[in-house]
Amino acid sequence: MDAGVLIWVLLGLPTLLAGLCLALRSPRQVLILVSIGGGVWGVVAGVAACTLLAAESAAAAYGWLHVDALSAYHLLLLGLVQGASSIYAWGYFRSDVATGELAAGQARRFGGLWFGAAAAMSLVLLSNNLGLMWVGIEATTLLTAFLICLHVSPLSLEATWKYLVVCSVGVAFAFVGTLLVGASAQPLGLDPSEMLLWTRLRASAPHLAAGSMKLAFLFMLVGYGTKAGLAPLHSWLPDAHSQAPAPVSALFSGFMLNAAFYCILRVLPLVEEATGSRGWGRGLLTGFGVVSILVAAAFIAFQRDGKRLLAYSSVEHLGVMALGVGLGGVGTVAALWHALNHAIAKPLAFFAVGRLGKLYGTHDLGALAGAARRSICWGVGFCGGLLALIGMAPLAIFMSEFQVLRAAAEARTFGVVALFLVGTAIVFVGALRHVIGTAWGEAISAPAREPVHAVDVGLVGGALLCLLVLGVWLPAPLANALSAVAQVIGGGP
Amino acid sequence: MSQGAGAEAVLALLVITDLLLLGSSRLRSCIRVVAVQGVVVSLLPLLLHGGEGAARAWALTAGGVAVKGAIFPLVLLRVLRETAVRREVEPFVGHTLSVLVGASALVFSLWVDTRLHLPVTLAGSPLTVPVGLATMLIGLFVIVSRRKAITQVLGYIVVENGIYAVGVALVGGVPLLVELGVLLDVFVAVFIMSIAAYHISREFDHIDVDQLDRLRG
Repeated sequence: MDAGVLIWVLLGLPTLLAGLCLALRSPRQVLILVSIGGGVWGVVAGVAACTLLAAESAAAAYGWLHVDALSAYHLLLLGLVQGASSIYAWGYFRSDVATGELAAGQARRFGGLWFGAAAAMSLVLLSNNLGLMWVGIEATTLLTAFLICLHVSPLSLEATWKYLVVCSVGVAFAFVGTLLVGASAQPLGLDPSEMLLWTRLRASAPHLAAGSMKLAFLFMLVGYGTKAGLAPLHSWLPDAHSQAPAPVSALFSGFMLNAAFYCILRVLPLVEEATGSRGWGRGLLTGFGVVSILVAAAFIAFQRDGKRLLAYSSVEHLGVMALGVGLGGVGTVAALWHALNHAIAKPLAFFAVGRLGKLYGTHDLGALAGAARRSICWGVGFCGGLLALIGMAPLAIFMSEFQVLRAAAEARTFGVVALFLVGTAIVFVGALRHVIGTAWGEAISAPAREPVHAVDVGLVGGALLCLLVLGVWLPAPLANALSAVAQVIGGGP
Repeated sequence: MSQGAGAEAVLALLVITDLLLLGSSRLRSCIRVVAVQGVVVSLLPLLLHGGEGAARAWALTAGGVAVKGAIFPLVLLRVLRETAVRREVEPFVGHTLSVLVGASALVFSLWVDTRLHLPVTLAGSPLTVPVGLATMLIGLFVIVSRRKAITQVLGYIVVENGIYAVGVALVGGVPLLVELGVLLDVFVAVFIMSIAAYHISREFDHIDVDQLDRLRG
């Protein structure tokens, strides 16, 4: 298929699905559409991503929409995470529909916002115009806000409010950054309609005004960094992740944070070349990365709530990605690979803790003791996902974190190496006791009985298998794609 | 010349509305002040680039006036009616001190502007960037120093107004599609925040966001 048509399909399909969800009558129908439509959307996004990765670059709408390796790779992550989460949503909400806890209005709202968020996220990835990209990010905030309080309760409202205010104000800063990019492009003498087009800016990045470009990057780093959950800007993240329904948490953690981080990756080569490629912007990213890892480690060490633990783990992993990109070279490739591994492991862990939470009626890790024996599918999924997330060898996250560490050692930044090791060690020890407790602990309460479906087993087994395979073998097409993406960011080895 | 004078009148009104917002405790008048500010700031593109690309400037101004001057106050006043709150009682920073903070923010912005040497493109007033910056800072200050959810929404609108002013001064020609997208986002953001505030008032019987502190650790 023509690449230009593909771009429109990627924007149109989720919008269409969102409209369909709003038109359906019963919550059951909406859920079926979410699962099947979401699965199809995931496959379409994945196939489109692979096609576009092979095509190197494609454009549509007079250059306003543009796909290169960086956006195609993130599109793959989006398809993966949202496809899996949509399929999982059926099993997660099924009991709510049966008990009438999920009314028709709520289900329609969920479906509409779920696919609306998909459209907004693909807009972020596909837009070549930095202003339009910002519009997409802000739209994801607004569309996902009411997914957090799908079941209205005091706690979920509190989380929604914090999410709305912190992210809207944070992302507003990113818009100032976008304006400053426009201001720094004035020496290029571009036509106003082309002033914010990334391809134009990238082609003449060395001629951008360095001073205002630096300022622009600072604003964007703070703005998009808030949405990406980089510490110390992460205050909304644990609340939103812990209160949202599990499929939403999985989408937030597995991809939405990456979508905001993607925006930082877009601007990074511009600021680097404008400032003479001396690593000014990379240094800032490295700093944010290290701080995120350490802050997250401190909170993980004493965390008892399963979903909050996973939320802080997202702060840690976004920190690892920021660190990897900040170090450059091998680190950039490792960070991108890490994004994929995280996008497999984190949704798995959220899926499992969400279902265990339904069975046990709590997300408290103490109460989930012995879950791996009582509820084998999700208990094993939780243990496996958590083990992967804390960097157990030979699962994939261990390998990508090891590569980031190698990049740090090669760059001879031994302070960073030490802090990285301290942070990941604290996370490992802090979370390992919960893995042990869930697997072998003395059971405190018995879970509700629920039959295990083949789909559930498939989700858990597939994710664990992927993590294991990617840990021992990196397929050549993926390796090529990673280095192509690193070229776009300008930090290829 | 008249263009410059018009722009400076707008900037003066921006500062005045900023300080009025900081000094008043009645939520109803706060909403009105922010509505006036929204209308005033929406006039900027018309005053600064009325000549070239007049259709674009008119479209932006019309959109801005409709959203910020009419829809926002309607929505917010409606939320106010649904909740039993009338005043911003005991903000974290008192009203007199808040006005002083606002004045300092203005001075600080003027100083920052002299240090930054931003490439301001257009004729009009050289004060647009510092006043916009001050408005942003004051909006942020309102968000962190007030207790009521509605006042935080107002703070967000003020931040957006400040960004809008800075944007008009820094880059004249952000494509219309992007500007409209931004306006739409801000509109939806305020709308959604209002709905959330309404739910909060129903669930908690108050809209004191400082009491939303059960999620910790």
